[in-house]
Amino acid sequence: MGASSSASAGTVESRVVTTRLSRWRFRNRRWVGWLFILPWVIGFLIFDVLALVLNFYFSMTNFTVGARVPDWVGFANFQQAFTKDKLLGLSFTNTVYYAGLSIPLGMLVAFVLALLLNADIRGRGIFRTVYYLPSLVPAAASAIIWLFILRTRNGVLNQFLGLFGINAIPWLGRPEWAKPALILMSLWSFGQQMVIYLAGLQGIPTELYEAAEIDGASWLQRLLRITIPMMTPMLFFNLVMGIIGSFQVFTAAFLMTQGGPLNATLFYMLHLYNNAFRYFRMGYSSALAVLLFLVILTLTLFVNKTSGRWVYYGGA
Amino acid sequence: MSKKLSRREFLTLGGIMGLGAVLAACRPAAPTAAPTAAPAEKVEEPTEKVEEVEPEPQPVTETVTVEWMNWWGDQREALMDTCIERFEEEFPHIHVENQVQPWDNREQRAATAIASGTPPGLLMVTRAEAQKFAVEGLIVPIDDYIQIRGHDVYDIFLESEIDAMKFMDKTWSYPLPGSFLDNTMWFYNKNIMREFDMDPDVPPVTWQDVDTAMAAMTTFEGGLLETLGLAGPNGYFYSHIYCNNGQYYSDDARQLLFNSPEAVETVEWKVALLEVAGGIESHSAFFEGLDWQKADHPFYTNKLCMQPHNVSAFGHFNTITSEMYNDTDQWGVMLVPYNGNNPSAKPTGISGLAFTWNQVIGAALPANVREAAYEWLEFYTMREEGGGYFLLSQGRPSPVRRFNENPAYYDANPYWDKVREIMEYDIGVPTTPVQTEIADILNRNLDEVWYGMAEPKDALDATYDEAQPILDAFWGEA
Repeated sequence: MGASSSASAGTVESRVVTTRLSRWRFRNRRWVGWLFILPWVIGFLIFDVLALVLNFYFSMTNFTVGARVPDWVGFANFQQAFTKDKLLGLSFTNTVYYAGLSIPLGMLVAFVLALLLNADIRGRGIFRTVYYLPSLVPAAASAIIWLFILRTRNGVLNQFLGLFGINAIPWLGRPEWAKPALILMSLWSFGQQMVIYLAGLQGIPTELYEAAEIDGASWLQRLLRITIPMMTPMLFFNLVMGIIGSFQVFTAAFLMTQGGPLNATLFYMLHLYNNAFRYFRMGYSSALAVLLFLVILTLTLFVNKTSGRWVYYGGA
Repeated sequence: MSKKLSRREFLTLGGIMGLGAVLAACRPAAPTAAPTAAPAEKVEEPTEKVEEVEPEPQPVTETVTVEWMNWWGDQREALMDTCIERFEEEFPHIHVENQVQPWDNREQRAATAIASGTPPGLLMVTRAEAQKFAVEGLIVPIDDYIQIRGHDVYDIFLESEIDAMKFMDKTWSYPLPGSFLDNTMWFYNKNIMREFDMDPDVPPVTWQDVDTAMAAMTTFEGGLLETLGLAGPNGYFYSHIYCNNGQYYSDDARQLLFNSPEAVETVEWKVALLEVAGGIESHSAFFEGLDWQKADHPFYTNKLCMQPHNVSAFGHFNTITSEMYNDTDQWGVMLVPYNGNNPSAKPTGISGLAFTWNQVIGAALPANVREAAYEWLEFYTMREEGGGYFLLSQGRPSPVRRFNENPAYYDANPYWDKVREIMEYDIGVPTTPVQTEIADILNRNLDEVWYGMAEPKDALDATYDEAQPILDAFWGEA
């Protein structure tokens, strides 16, 4: 009897524990979600957070390629950047020039095309696909295509300009034309921005347009008073992404001009790359990366700060 | 009693399995082969200074894989695969993986591969990169192997070539394909010479002859170059200084000498040639989108006469237009011209200053992989059925002296006698790991000259002022 009751008590206790555990698991079932995103979190921690922290650390060292522990040099790399690096200012100016033109032009082209592709026309899906396709072309393939488009002799662009009696322009051979040529090339990959604008355009309530039409608003008035204000969140997003992307412009110059002619296309990232992988000055390159990070962060914060004045999120 | 799996349990299980798979995929790669003698071979940590590594010739019984990371695509990949087959027949316990890499981001790929801690068995890098990796202790010298095998490398290789593999009194690689004839040999098109009433059997010998030929054969149509006497007159400054009795580096590589009067005169000669071509923009436009490996290169279409090119040109030339390649009535090779106005000047080629491949062995590799990598390195550089075959098939001379005596070269290369004669004009020069940076500074300043924004002397002086401190800093730390 005693043994039996003892066993029974143990079973009851076991059930209680199991039940409590089940309840705990049920109450704290968010761990399942965490489990699913864990691979991404691990990747984020290692490849983003850790890389960022290490970059800050390396920017204060004389780190080079190799396994030895680098020496701490404090702010010497930053001092060198501002006092000795003859190409830093030039590469930054080139980058600002590129960003200053490519961002607004890219946004404008993508927005206009999104407006056109939002119209109720036959074959709209095909047009959308066709216009999006260039965004899927790998950068190296794009570079080869554009080298043929921009060739001085028999280049597609120069042949087109020749129809209007314009002499052949050495797009990639003359310093003053090289940056505009790469900006022109950057417009080629407007597809991703365009898709975001298209999604935004389709989210604008049609009642607004109907009401405006009843009030006698013209197409331009509808665009300026309804479409653009309603699209400001998308414009804001693309502006921020454009700033981040254009300040890191690299591939086109790396593949097509290698920074030339006369360093006209030596963008900041190309200068950073040269220091890192051609001269193996990893510590110094890390300092350059920190400076670029601060510039992009400042610009992004500035745009974010001003967004309250011009971005409409609905509501009051 | 069977219990149904709820959706939540199924997802939980799936998540756990997925996580497990990710973690498994992220684990360090297993060694390519187990060490044979020592059960747990300790991977050597690279140290701050160059490390002596003693080869450990052990009887190898298990297959060792050597990852051979290189940049040799095109027709060379198949040739290398054949070399590997022959090697593996002789060394069945070693498997060589021919890992041909794309050229894009080459520097980044090389640096990350060697610094990763799990480098490939053998890595093809430039001389400056090899020197930098040597300073950082990332690669191992092969002197001990040379000593154990009893090789007299100066007897085996051309002196200028094996010297280009040495740095800090150690040997880091064997040369292949070698950088001799990098700038000593020019190709010339006889068809265009005939078109402009020039004797195709008498190519230019001096700079003054080049001036004459350039003026005669350079023509324009609609403001654009139609035919051109010499390709890239603004190129090869570093070697053309030597054709004017100048120098780039001092013999100990501690002093830059490229702002001498001879060097200034060399740049002035190049500026004058560029002007004949209509300036740098006109010249660049002529070659836009074209290179030696394309059939529409102006040399193959008889629009260009003289083209300096290294010996890789033979293989590409033969691949693109074997008909023209085998017809010596259409083209020829000539010795680099020298300044006929300078009594001390003579034709000279520079080996290894601008570029030469080193094949290096990573210090972080297990000893048995290093051993296998060395076997492969020796086979495909020194052995006739390896590097000898690889270069002969491309009609390229070899840095191994005796291979060049192979009569088969006369079938592979229609100008073999001439090529061997030109090889005698090559000299080796020392460099340092900061050579890339110095060369970039030089090119940047010379660009200003080509664009008419600076005088040659000012540009070279400015280069010296910026580059010499970098060289001094390197030697200060070395």
